[in-house]
Amino acid sequence: MATEQELSDFLKSVEKRAFKRSLYHVRNTESAFDIVQDSMMKLAEHYGHKPSAELPMLFQRILTNCTLDWFRRQKTKNALFSNMSDFESSDSEGDFDLLEVLSTQSSLESSEGPESSAQQAQILLQIEAAIQELPTRQREAFLMRYWEELDVSETASAMGCSEGSVKTHSSRAVHALSKILKGKGITL
Amino acid sequence: MTNSSIYQHELEQDRFGLRVTSRLSDSLDDLPYEISERLRAARVQAIGKRKLVTAQTATNLIHLGGNSTLSFGTHQPNWWKKLATATPLLVLVLGLIAINLIQDDLHIREIADLDAELLTDDLPPTAYTDPGFAHFLKISSSQYK
Repeated sequence: MATEQELSDFLKSVEKRAFKRSLYHVRNTESAFDIVQDSMMKLAEHYGHKPSAELPMLFQRILTNCTLDWFRRQKTKNALFSNMSDFESSDSEGDFDLLEVLSTQSSLESSEGPESSAQQAQILLQIEAAIQELPTRQREAFLMRYWEELDVSETASAMGCSEGSVKTHSSRAVHALSKILKGKGITL
Repeated sequence: MTNSSIYQHELEQDRFGLRVTSRLSDSLDDLPYEISERLRAARVQAIGKRKLVTAQTATNLIHLGGNSTLSFGTHQPNWWKKLATATPLLVLVLGLIAINLIQDDLHIREIADLDAELLTDDLPPTAYTDPGFAHFLKISSSQYK
């Protein structure tokens, strides 16, 4: 059973990332904050007695569910939210080369030193905008796989889908991001 | 695509993904002070909620202990509470049913005893409906007075 301190430390370690993740999804500071707060409350209230090793997965799942609940509520309110973009054809992915994008990594590393903080902030904004452009499921899979560093099966469990779907969503997200960033002249 | 090229492609994807998210991680410390404070407050509130649940469980244990009932963990306190409330009512209903059954049984036994006495008496039961025998009884009782 996780102690109060362990639970507090865990929440402290994930709260900012969770907030940003929610913000990328819902694009509204207040809503993102509400989702994170709700997730924290649910974790503490219902799973506060679980071993600390189980907390990360539980939190990811709760956060995902809270975000989905938010979208459902929005859908009920506005009837606007649609996930259909996930089913769009990926035929446009063929016109860029990931290797080409990655080949510039070393030049990026060497240029990181003199890169001004203003430039970094600008790049970050563009990366965030690119992430926000992704379809919901792709963004979710991408952030879980590479930001939360969950493996494929853990991501599948948290997203409530198959491992194959996670791989597809992640791959499409990487390709889409590469394309968007390349289009903006960012060589990541 | 061979297995090695698929593996190489996945590796490149992973490297790209990690590079993107490392940029995102770098930005976490730059969150506005207000947001950081609100997150801290939310965390403290969540931890408080956990405390509240733990304390509630302990209270349940004390209350239910008086009714010889124990509460285990945080998941079933409501069930135990409901059971503790329903048990005296159940006992009361069962008691009333038992009393009713016993009363019925006693009544049946009394009627059976009466019937048995009537049937085993020297005098046949039809004698009581005979007007002559009724007159005889009336005379006899007045003579003994």
